[in-house]
Amino acid sequence: MTHTSKQRQSSRKATRHDQPDSVDDIDEIHASQKEVERTYSVIRSIDTTGFEPLSIFVPTLSHRESQ
Amino acid sequence: MTKYFPDIEYQSITEIAPRIQSEDLSPVDLLEIMLQRISRLEPSLNAFLTVWSDSAQKAARSAESEIKKGKYIGPLHGIPIGLKDLIDVKGHKTTAGSKVLANNTAKSDATVVTRLKTSGAILMGKLNLVEFAFGTTGLNPYTGDVKNPWDLNRITAGSSSGSAAAVASGMILGSLGSDTGGSIRMPASVCGIAGLKPTYGRIPRTGVLDLSWSMDHVGPMARTTEDCAILLNALAGTNNDDPTSYAGPSEDFTSELNKGLCQIKIGIPTNYFFEEPVDSEISKAVLYSVNLMASNGAEVVELPMPWVNKGRAINLGVIRPEAVSVHESLMAENANLYTSDVRRRIESGLIIKAIDYVHAQRARQWFNHKMSEAMKQVDVLITPSVPIQTPTIKQCITVDKNMGAGDQLPMFTSVFNATGQPSLSIPCGFTSDGMPIGMMINGHPYDEKTVLRVGNAFEKLTQWHQRVPTDIPAIK
Repeated sequence: MTHTSKQRQSSRKATRHDQPDSVDDIDEIHASQKEVERTYSVIRSIDTTGFEPLSIFVPTLSHRESQ
Repeated sequence: MTKYFPDIEYQSITEIAPRIQSEDLSPVDLLEIMLQRISRLEPSLNAFLTVWSDSAQKAARSAESEIKKGKYIGPLHGIPIGLKDLIDVKGHKTTAGSKVLANNTAKSDATVVTRLKTSGAILMGKLNLVEFAFGTTGLNPYTGDVKNPWDLNRITAGSSSGSAAAVASGMILGSLGSDTGGSIRMPASVCGIAGLKPTYGRIPRTGVLDLSWSMDHVGPMARTTEDCAILLNALAGTNNDDPTSYAGPSEDFTSELNKGLCQIKIGIPTNYFFEEPVDSEISKAVLYSVNLMASNGAEVVELPMPWVNKGRAINLGVIRPEAVSVHESLMAENANLYTSDVRRRIESGLIIKAIDYVHAQRARQWFNHKMSEAMKQVDVLITPSVPIQTPTIKQCITVDKNMGAGDQLPMFTSVFNATGQPSLSIPCGFTSDGMPIGMMINGHPYDEKTVLRVGNAFEKLTQWHQRVPTDIPAIK
């Protein structure tokens, strides 16, 4: 299998960051990246206006406990 | 001396519990039968990471003694149960099937373990899994692949691979698994047993390793729907240490099991779940099963769900950033100890933009709204559990490198992780190759009772759940 200069560059970059990725891994990393892009392109295609997840930011009820 | 009970290893908890209660069967004898079976079959199946023979024998003797004194606790008293190895048991290792946690000893019991012990169950050991539960085929290059008891060349699916194979092969009567995109229901389907992902938060996750905190569920795997209900009774209920656990009133999940199918409205999606790439033998078996239920009192409603194909992307779109957040510090110090596939899966979360995670959260809210609108018309939604026939281990390793089958297996199960609805997989037929086919019964949030009622009614009409893989070759 031949490796492109981009693949070799990615591999060197990974090594610098102590990521034990070989040149052979790079193809699969690029495949994973494509899969991630596919996932979020499906999500971006949804009109989610007005569907904010309320439970994340609506305050949690609290009160002083009676003594 | 051990008594001999023909086929006792394949009986359900429901069948065995009264025999233990009436002292017709001692927990000590039952355990001995299970240990002998583990000793014979485990070299072929690789379902266990650790078997706790000594502590299990001690617990079984204690159970026997208590029962003789008239202190029978309930249907799990003296019943051997296994735990997926991401559940903490004090003093024992929780490895998550990874070299990263090879020396990780738990300091306390997970809530589910405390509850199983309180119910009198005998803890048999830790079960094999996909590393950190992050994968769908069930393969694990570090701990070794679990083999499917129906065909040792085929995958079990995962990630609760050992939990499914151990029950399906009669080495234990029940197990606990976890489910983030289908990890209880896929292996239950592929191995021919029952597996329940309850409503999100129904069973506390304290002491269970996270993969994706907003998608993770813990649940039971067993021979029958009724056994799942019995286990759920022991496991459900709020816990102060898990703020996501459900604080509703305690319930008896067996109370509606025998109400039958009259007045039950079953929804059948008109798209996605019965379309390409769904295998025709699988869709035929599920639709035949629905027709059988219709002829026994249920009403069937066709439901168009044109939005439902977005569910898997939303599930993955949330899992990836949450998983990388969970693993960030572990990965920084131990990247070279992860297996390469799982490391890449986690690393793929590092490139996700904040805006995409925000979109995924909003999309999830949108998806839940769509699902709850659709569910207003029915009591349960019935679909196949997985779309494809069970691939061989070789196909997953060499042909599609985990991607083809790995991507397709969770197409249906993951929809109900995004919504948090209760979802049960039970056997509903066999392929022409003799492999089990699973049907998924999905209910309204917090309505496990109806899901279990429909599952139990179906099992009373059929015998699929009673088929067992009788000729598992033992390696000597």
